[in-house]
Amino acid sequence: MTVIDILTRVDTICKKYDKYDVDKQRESNISGDDAFARLYGAFETQIETALEKAEIVTKEKNRASAVAMNAEIRRTKARLSEEVPKLQRLALKRVKGLTTEELAARNDLVLALPARIEAIPDGTAGGPKSTSAWAPSTTSRPDIKFDSDGRFDDDYFQESHESSQFRQEFEMRKIKQASGDQGLDMISEGLDALKNMASDMNEELDRQVPLMDEIDSKVDRATSDLKNTNVRLKDTVNQLRSSRNFCIDIVLLCIVLGIAAYLYNVLK
Amino acid sequence: MSSDPEKMMSKADKMTKLTLTRWSADWRGATELYEQAANGFRASSKYERAKVALEKASQGQVMQSSPWDAAKHMESAAALAQKLSIWDEVADFYRKASELYVECGRAQPASDALGKAARALEEVKPEDAIQLYTDACEILEEDGRDQMAFDLYRACASVYIKLEKFTDAATFFLRLGVAADKCDATNSQCKAYLSAIIVYLYGHDLKQAEKCYNDCSQIDAFLKSDQNRTASRLLTAYNEGDIEEIKKVACSSTVSNLDHAIIKLARKLPTGDVTAVQMNAGDDLDEDDLT
Repeated sequence: MTVIDILTRVDTICKKYDKYDVDKQRESNISGDDAFARLYGAFETQIETALEKAEIVTKEKNRASAVAMNAEIRRTKARLSEEVPKLQRLALKRVKGLTTEELAARNDLVLALPARIEAIPDGTAGGPKSTSAWAPSTTSRPDIKFDSDGRFDDDYFQESHESSQFRQEFEMRKIKQASGDQGLDMISEGLDALKNMASDMNEELDRQVPLMDEIDSKVDRATSDLKNTNVRLKDTVNQLRSSRNFCIDIVLLCIVLGIAAYLYNVLK
Repeated sequence: MSSDPEKMMSKADKMTKLTLTRWSADWRGATELYEQAANGFRASSKYERAKVALEKASQGQVMQSSPWDAAKHMESAAALAQKLSIWDEVADFYRKASELYVECGRAQPASDALGKAARALEEVKPEDAIQLYTDACEILEEDGRDQMAFDLYRACASVYIKLEKFTDAATFFLRLGVAADKCDATNSQCKAYLSAIIVYLYGHDLKQAEKCYNDCSQIDAFLKSDQNRTASRLLTAYNEGDIEEIKKVACSSTVSNLDHAIIKLARKLPTGDVTAVQMNAGDDLDEDDLT
């Protein structure tokens, strides 16, 4: 008996005795009748695919596509989190053939699901690079000390003549600067608009460069074809116009006219 | 040669039917007749018949193995179908035309055909339009001409915004970012990311917006750009519940250079919320709690 025969016989025997395989039957029965198990299975597969995608993201070198994939992972997570309540409702339903312990176990599984969904990495673990350059610093510094040690009596805050003059000058300068500032604001807005238009033009031109290259090559091909055709045409026309053919044409024409004149004379 | 288009059509039909006396269809003559018939019908404004004539002419060209002419006829047929508002046929014809263009190896006209179809169906069947836009973008990306795909991505995202599906719209903006990254179009890339963040914010999804911002900050081009600063200002304003600041950012010039649809969303931004955003003080309040 060959190996192949043995294999086929084993297969047929297995198939015949499949109906006695208790575990397999139970499994298939459960997935058949039980909506919860089906849905849970679907959940598991989705979580697996999301985890795989997250792994791919970590190996991904191209930042932009990493960002796009992270966004997709987050979408999947959001969808899964929405479905969790539905699963919970199914978990609480009583199904025939199910023990109370299994029911409790199912509940626990469902409760564990949100945690698992959250645990799927989607690139938020790495925080942003420091942007505190732009945010105002709000921490107070302990090294700064005040001079006067708290003696804030009346004289301290009294305005002297000079200080009120300073104050007035300060107000005037501030008003002048405000109008100057407005001018600067308008200039900055104009510059922003110009900058945006310039970058858009830049990108548009970049877009058109390969198109121009294509046009260039196509037109080159067309001109060379035309030149070729022109040369061949010139040769052909020259051949037709060659003096030998011309003389032969004239001679034959004279002969035909001579014959015609002769016939005319004879018939007159 | 009869000048009546109907007669031409019936003659051409007879030429293509195989009978006992005719053993092989004369596609060349038939195609010519179909084309002339179509012109005649169009001149007399019988668009339905003209469309049928163009379809048959296109088929004739396919039989003669000239996919370019066939595709052109299909496009004209689709334009007529658009005039007659038969939307299924519009999508069908444009798709067929696009396939024929791909057969010729010309990706640009193929994606143009799908783009025209999508534009025609935007109002009537937005889901189909989105599918057509996605297919058009894929054709261009396969051919390596990502830059042409920018407009298509933007149009698709605006359709999603009209349908109020904000996560999908933001995903499309991120895909625009990927395409822009491939061709080093940093300005478009940064604008795309800023648009995605604004769309997330409009959809009341502060957490997603922040996550998106964190992701994008890892990309150098975005980090060094104006759009980055605007985005960070916007997010800090949101976190502190400062409506004035949000409005100021929304009227800034950086935002005014984005798409019209996004500008409209940005101007509506703080009023999209239910009430003012809570302070992110790190106590029991959830970041997402907008009440």
